Amino acid sequence: MSDSKTPAVLVDQASKWYGQVIGLNDVSLAIDGGVTGVLGPNGAGKSTLFKLLMGRLKPSQGSVRLFGIDPWSNTAPYRRVGYVSESERMYDWMTGLDFVTTLARLHGMTREEATARAEHVLDFVGLADVRNKELGKYSKGMRQRVKIAHALVHDPDLIILDEPLHGCDPIARTSIMSVIRELGSQGKTVLISSHILEEIERITEQIVILHNGRLLALGNLHAIRGLLDKHPHRILLTCDDPRRLASAFIAEDPVHGVSFPEEGQLEIQTNNLSEAHSILPRVIVNSKANVTSIENPDDNLESLLGYLVGGDS
Amino acid sequence: MDEKGRALSETVWTRLDRKAGAITEFTVRQLRHRISTWVVLSVGVLVMALLLAFYVDAIRETDEPYDDDGDSVDWDKDGYPRGQEDKFGTSDWDGTEYPGSGYYEADGDIDWNDEARFHSGNHTWHGEGYFEADWLDTDYSGGRWSGIIDWEDMEACREGQVYDDWWPEWGEACTYDDGSYFVSGRFKASGSVNVPDNYYMEWGHMTDEYYVEPDPASMYIDEDGILWDGRDVSEIGTEIDDDGDCLLLMNDDNNNGIPCDVIWILDADGDEIIDIRADFNVNEDPAEGEYVGELSHRTFIIGTGKMAFVMLLGIFIPLFLALGLVRDETENGTLHYLLSKPIHRAEFILYRLLGYLLLTGTYILVLVLLMALITSLIGPGESLIRLSDFPVWLGIGLATILVLAAYGAMYNTLGLIFPKYGVYMCIILGVWEFIMGFFTLTLPSANVPMLSVSHWALQMIDAIVLIAWPDTLQYSQMADAFGFDSPLPFFWQPPVHTLETQSPVVALLVSIAVLLVITLGMIGIGQSSFKNREIM
Repeated sequence: MSDSKTPAVLVDQASKWYGQVIGLNDVSLAIDGGVTGVLGPNGAGKSTLFKLLMGRLKPSQGSVRLFGIDPWSNTAPYRRVGYVSESERMYDWMTGLDFVTTLARLHGMTREEATARAEHVLDFVGLADVRNKELGKYSKGMRQRVKIAHALVHDPDLIILDEPLHGCDPIARTSIMSVIRELGSQGKTVLISSHILEEIERITEQIVILHNGRLLALGNLHAIRGLLDKHPHRILLTCDDPRRLASAFIAEDPVHGVSFPEEGQLEIQTNNLSEAHSILPRVIVNSKANVTSIENPDDNLESLLGYLVGGDS
Repeated sequence: MDEKGRALSETVWTRLDRKAGAITEFTVRQLRHRISTWVVLSVGVLVMALLLAFYVDAIRETDEPYDDDGDSVDWDKDGYPRGQEDKFGTSDWDGTEYPGSGYYEADGDIDWNDEARFHSGNHTWHGEGYFEADWLDTDYSGGRWSGIIDWEDMEACREGQVYDDWWPEWGEACTYDDGSYFVSGRFKASGSVNVPDNYYMEWGHMTDEYYVEPDPASMYIDEDGILWDGRDVSEIGTEIDDDGDCLLLMNDDNNNGIPCDVIWILDADGDEIIDIRADFNVNEDPAEGEYVGELSHRTFIIGTGKMAFVMLLGIFIPLFLALGLVRDETENGTLHYLLSKPIHRAEFILYRLLGYLLLTGTYILVLVLLMALITSLIGPGESLIRLSDFPVWLGIGLATILVLAAYGAMYNTLGLIFPKYGVYMCIILGVWEFIMGFFTLTLPSANVPMLSVSHWALQMIDAIVLIAWPDTLQYSQMADAFGFDSPLPFFWQPPVHTLETQSPVVALLVSIAVLLVITLGMIGIGQSSFKNREIM
C-alpha cells in the first residue's frame, strides 16, 4: 500500500481541540526511520499526537497519515504499527504470555504462531522467566516491558511508545532503553515520548519538542543544545572551600560571574557552556579544591523550553 | 477461482475467523475471572433448584388421586361421604341426617290465619304456642339447625302477655305455675297446643330408620373421568354424570336443553377442539394420573421457562455481564491494547457480544438440559423418560438465548452511549421488560407489550409449546370448562402473532425474526456510535 517514499508518520497541519481546550495546534511533521523522542512537559500534546496517530481521536483540522493511510477511518496501518499506551491498567488475571498471545491473535495469527511470537518478544524484552506469572504480580517495570512486548509481537515497522519509562526503577529503565535502542538499530521507526530530557538523550539524538500543543523544535538534540550553549548557563559545584575555588574561576574568560547559593556550594555563570566545561578540570586540579559533584541545573527540558520560547533560562 | 483469489479469500476469511476466535475466547475468559459472573450464574442455579424442589413436591401430590369437588369427604362426621349423602338427599352438614337416618315428615299445621287454634297428639312439633304436655322427649336432638328446645334448662315465664310484654327466644321454652309451657322452637312431645293468633305451629313425625352401608370415600374420587384422553378428537364419548351430583340438580349451564352434558366445539376440519362447554358438576374429577399430572407437569415447564428463564435470567444476566462489555474497557483504558490491533471497532463489538453469548448461552443450555433431564425422568407418564418434553425445553433455551442476545446488545449499546447513566437506564429498561412480560402473560394480544423484548420471547415459548404439545390448548380449555384450579391458562395461551394463519410455526418464525431484528438493530446502533467515538 505504501511505497518506500511514503513516510511512516506524516502529520500535516493537524490541530485537535477539546471544546475550548487546545490539545494540538497546527502541527506538521514527517518521520521515517530511526528513534525519535517526542519531548514536552505534561499537557504539551504528546498523548494527543499519539492518539491521533492511532486513530483514537479525529483531527479537528489537518490530516494524519500512517504509511499514507488515514488511521481514523482505516485500521489497515495497525498491521505495521505497535502502540504502547500510557494506560496503567492491565488484565491482571492474565499471564504475560496469555496477554501477548491473545493480542497477537488479533493480527490474524494462529494460536501456535501467536504463542511462538509471544515467547520470542517476551524473551526480547527480558521477561522470559516470568511469562507464566499473572500480570497482577508484575512490577511496574515488568508491566511496561510486557506492554512493549505486545506492541512488538507482529514485528511492526513503526513503534509508538507513550511514556514507556514513566514510573520505572533505574534497572527497568536501563533495560527498556536498550530495547528501544536495539529497535532503532534494526531500522524501525520508533516514536517515544517523555517529559524528561535526560531519558531521551540516552536513547536518541533526533527529537521533536512540543509545548502547549505547538511544535517547538524538530531535529538533532545536539544542534538544539548547541544553540542553548551560547546562552547564560549555570554550573553548580559542591566542594569543601567554595570561596577559594571561586577566585580561581573568576579569572577565567568564559566565566562571567560566581555566587554561593548554599553552604559548601559554588555556582558559576557562563555564556559558553562547552568552553566552561573544557576549562573545568584544569581549574579544579590547579586550585586543589576537593570537589564532590558537578551539576548542570539548566541542562533540562524546562530550560530548553524556556530558551526556545524566548524567555530567560 | 484462480489460485490468487483462493489465497486471498483464505487470508481474509481465516484471519477474520482467528480474530473473532481470539476476542470471543478472551471475553469468555475475562467474564470467567469476574466474581459477579459467578454470583449471577449461581443465583440462576439456585432459583432452578428451588423450583425443582417445588416441582418434586407437587408431582408427588398429583400421584395421589385427587378429589376436585370434595364429595369424598365426610364433612359432618356421620360416617357417610358427601357424595353418598347427596344421593339420599340428606344434609352433609348435619350429623344427625344420614342415609337411612329417617327424616321428618309434616302431618299438619296451624297457620297464622286458621280459625282453629288447638291441636293435640304425639308429634314432632315445630313452631310457637302454649303447650300442655303429657310426655316430653327430653333427649330429642332433631336437626342441628332447627332450634331444638332444651328442657333441662327451663325458666319461669315472665309476667305479662307474650308478644305484648315480652318476646320468646327461638329454641327456648318457659314454664308457668300450672306446669304448662310456652314453647318456641322444635321439640318432640305428646300433649296439646294452643297457638296465639297470627303465629304458626307445625307437627309431623320422623320416618323409620334403616341401615345403609356407607360407601368408601374412594368411590367419590375419579368418578367422572373425562372420556376423551386428549389426543384424538374422534374418541370423545358421551359424558356421564357418574356420581349423580349434576343430575340431582339437573344443571344445564350450557343452555342446550340437555342437563348434565358437555358440548365439544370442533373447528371446521373437525380435528381440533376450539371450545368446551360443560354443565356444572359433570366431569369434575378426571383421572388424575393422566390429566392433572400432565397438566401440572406442563404448567411447571411453561411457567419455569417464562418466569425463571426468560423474565428472570434473561433480564438480569445481561445487566451484570453485558452492560460493561465495551464500556468497562473504555473506562479502564484497557481498550487501547485491543484497538491498537488491526480490528474494526464494529467487529470488536460483535465479537465481544459473541463471547458473552457463548458463555451465557452455554450456561443456559446446560441449565435447560439439566432441568429437562430431571423433570422428564420424574414427570408423569408410563415411559421412563418423557422425550416429548425436550423440544419444549430446547425451545425455552433458544428463547432465553435470543433474549440474552437482544438485551446484551441493548445494554451494551446503552452502556456505550451513556457511560455514566447507562446502568440506570438499563435498570429502568429491565423493569419495563418485566412488567411487559407480565402483561404478555395476562393479555397476550394487547399492543403495548409488543414494544418489549420479553413479549416476543414469551410468544416464542407459546408457539413452541403448541408445536411440541398440540393438545395443550385442550388441556387449558378443559381446566377452564370443568373448573379445575390450574395455573396453566395464566402461564400459557395460544400464540398471537400467527399473521392470521393460526399456525404456531408462523408465530414462532415471526417472534424469532423480531428478536433478531432487535438484536441486530441494537448492535448496529452501538457500532455506529462506537465507530465515531473518540477514545481518550
